[in-house]
Amino acid sequence: MSEDNDKTSYDSDSSKPDKMFTLKKWNSVAMWSWDVECEICAICRVQVMDACLRCQAESKKDIQSKDGACVVVWGECNHSFHHCCMSLWVKQNNRCPLCQQEWSIQRLSS
Amino acid sequence: MITLTRKKANESNGQSKRISIRDKLLVKEVQEMEENLPSTVKTSFPDSNNLSEFYLTVQPNEGLWKDGRFKFLITINEDYNMMPPKVKCLTKILHPNISAAGDVCLSLLRLNSIDGMGWMPTRRLKDVIFGINSLFTDLCDFDDPLNIELSEEYAANSEKVKQRIREHVLQNAMR
Repeated sequence: MSEDNDKTSYDSDSSKPDKMFTLKKWNSVAMWSWDVECEICAICRVQVMDACLRCQAESKKDIQSKDGACVVVWGECNHSFHHCCMSLWVKQNNRCPLCQQEWSIQRLSS
Repeated sequence: MITLTRKKANESNGQSKRISIRDKLLVKEVQEMEENLPSTVKTSFPDSNNLSEFYLTVQPNEGLWKDGRFKFLITINEDYNMMPPKVKCLTKILHPNISAAGDVCLSLLRLNSIDGMGWMPTRRLKDVIFGINSLFTDLCDFDDPLNIELSEEYAANSEKVKQRIREHVLQNAMR
């Protein structure tokens, strides 16, 4: 709208300057993150997408020779932890350490 | 040379691995604890290379134990943080939730607590410190006693017990 106004004013002056620049392309940027309740395992305080503190302490050879990588577990309460960390804790107390609800597994990361 | 080979042999036994989980957690937690200490408490590590045992001194600035100085020993076993730290009160004290032997009744230090306030691996050392510190104020509970005798006396005559506690502090726990 302001451009029109400018045009008219410049037309009347008949001294319109060249454009300084033109917009050729507009790139929008999207950010993403894993859709999990807590990205850090509240038990060992390592990111859930990384191997847990216990698995890190063991050598990588050991992890591969066992039943695969250190996976993430989601409870029915939607809280996530390392499966290794959580299976140690449920032996003591079968409750989610974050919300105290009875712990039952919703899914495991593959 | 001999000691070095022996050291390497010990490391490959895998015993040092399990210790390091607790120690790795402690490195972060001790630092966090030190940065968030309430003004009424101080910590001291008898062995600076060992983070798993330290003293905590509480000097309450209000309440029945005001102006006293109470020392606790905190021990963190290898099964931390699946298991809570062990806390022992080393100073003689008259307190409904601390026994004559120095055992401390604090729900977050219990593994199987009925009220859902018990130990969880999400809790940290700073929570334990806040808990012990609050035993001298908000968390002091005559209705859930470890020192039953004191609690019964309190129910009968609270003023008398308050005075006894004040006298006991003056005699046993002055700064």
